[in-house]
Amino acid sequence: MSTAPRSLTDRPTLWPWLLLTPLALYLAIFFLVPLAQVAWMSVSEPTPGFGNYADALTGTLFRKVMLNTFFTAALVAFCCLLVGYPLAWLMTKTTPARATAILLLITMSFWTSFLVRTYAWMVLLGRNGPVAWAIEALGYGEPPQMLFTRFASTLAMVHILAPYMIMNIYSVMTKIDPALIRSAESMGARGGSLMRHVYLPLTAPGIANGAVLVFVICLGFYVTPVLLGSPREQMAAGLIGRQIEEFLAFGPGSAMAMILLAVTLVILAVYHRRFGLDRLYG
Amino acid sequence: MTAFTKRNGLLRPTRRRFLQGTAAAGAAALSAPSIARAQSDVLYVNSWGGPWLEAATANLFEPFAEQTGIRVETVSPVSFAKLAAQVRTGVYEFDVTSLGGGDIVRANQAGLLEEIEPTYPDGLFENGMGSHAFATVLAWRTDTDWQETPQSWADFWDVDRFPGTRSLQRYPARIIPLALLADGVAPQDLYPLDIDRAFAKLDEIKAHITVWWTAGAQSAQILRDGEVDMIGIWHGNYFAAEDEGAPVAMTWNQAEIERAYWVVAKDTPNMEAAKAFVEFATSAEPLAGFVTQANYGALNPAANAFIADAAKPRMPTAPDTYPQTFEQDMLNFGADPEEVSMRFEEWLAS
Repeated sequence: MSTAPRSLTDRPTLWPWLLLTPLALYLAIFFLVPLAQVAWMSVSEPTPGFGNYADALTGTLFRKVMLNTFFTAALVAFCCLLVGYPLAWLMTKTTPARATAILLLITMSFWTSFLVRTYAWMVLLGRNGPVAWAIEALGYGEPPQMLFTRFASTLAMVHILAPYMIMNIYSVMTKIDPALIRSAESMGARGGSLMRHVYLPLTAPGIANGAVLVFVICLGFYVTPVLLGSPREQMAAGLIGRQIEEFLAFGPGSAMAMILLAVTLVILAVYHRRFGLDRLYG
Repeated sequence: MTAFTKRNGLLRPTRRRFLQGTAAAGAAALSAPSIARAQSDVLYVNSWGGPWLEAATANLFEPFAEQTGIRVETVSPVSFAKLAAQVRTGVYEFDVTSLGGGDIVRANQAGLLEEIEPTYPDGLFENGMGSHAFATVLAWRTDTDWQETPQSWADFWDVDRFPGTRSLQRYPARIIPLALLADGVAPQDLYPLDIDRAFAKLDEIKAHITVWWTAGAQSAQILRDGEVDMIGIWHGNYFAAEDEGAPVAMTWNQAEIERAYWVVAKDTPNMEAAKAFVEFATSAEPLAGFVTQANYGALNPAANAFIADAAKPRMPTAPDTYPQTFEQDMLNFGADPEEVSMRFEEWLAS
């Protein structure tokens, strides 16, 4: 089938693979080896066997925290979609200059340290913060407890992760052929119908990519839920950290980390079957 | 190479930077551990940060460097896990750290501490040299509508007379005695602790504790910013909030005193310098300066001769204060502290 000259496409060459070696070495040394160590610790400490896994899977605390972790990640991904989709749409509709300005504002939050952003929310949502002050000034009475609740940690995580969602959706939206929309309109599709049957399906890959990225990154969140959330809604990373930090339970902590990794991989595999992981790379 | 790299901060060959993964050049970092082992003119001390670090720098680290030529660098935060990990891996991030009464028993049982000789009589405990005493005290905001002032942990639990939000440390070994005191147990009858009774009492207050603090600076911040109305807080952090002008007050009544000890990490390559530092830090004059600045109580009685009377009212071990307080008794805890911690974590999440 191919009409391209054989020499350009099929010439066996090692060059691309050689270029990959620095990255491969880096990953092997700083990711695969430590990961293997964690896997080894999970079955060797304190005693050899799968006792750590059995304990983790039967323990109520771990199960509760895992459920909460996946629930929170899904909630954050959903909220990111709610705020991200309209914003991405706005960027495609406005002038290029304004779209660039919006993009700049969104990426700017990446330049600010993670911790600083988390502390900023502590100030904003505090009992004597501007939000509480505004609620009282507007006559809504005693402001509710906002800090140290699920509301605060979810809000902060959405703030941190929304750019991933927005940029994924935006990149898909800009590639939509305007002719498709025009033809749909010429055939009588209007408003909600156009959205439901044409625009939404066309942007679905962006939504799926953004959601998976936000979901997976959120699974590993540590600092934000600890500082802003309630102890009743712990995330897995925090629990694993405490296992190591407080109980020196390297084995059980490693087992929990491996379970979290395994569940994450299962979710990615399901996603891959449905949408194809390769789409994550645009 | 060493001469060159010492002048160049970026390429300074330390195993810390190697561990932190921030070394700019991989090759330089990879060769670092052997270089770092050979040098004995730097001692790495695990830092508690905040007022502790300021007082330790001025009164312990700098004079020690002047006297011995050994420079002290600090590593934070204080991490029990790191202490254990260093002994496991043989890669040392710090040579010396200080531990509270609860952690030192655990650390010594786990074989993480080097055996040391007492540097003053009766000061050695579980391979740690007694440094200073600090206290968990009851503190509150004075800008509430309360008709009375809280006097005891029973008042901390009394949400009818003292409505408002509360905070305690996320550290059951320090919290459980407070719950028992609130439940009417006399201080002298606390140990061994009745764990079940304590958890039952904690159930009563759980809904009113909006945040369980995990770092000293955090506890000062939430009190200063009015995030909570009442808090169990380390006295050093309380005074930091008070000195910043926050409308706060505290009582020494039923303050929980805990002793802190200097320890040397097991098998550290910097052994001599580490032991020299522990001896220096627990000797009378440097310790006196340290506790005076940070308001701690000196555990080496010889230090008291160098402490001005004016500095004493803020110390938990001052003659007028000490009788109102009680001390932790970790050797007589009454349960496996680790099991209690696990139970506490599950209780928190439920």
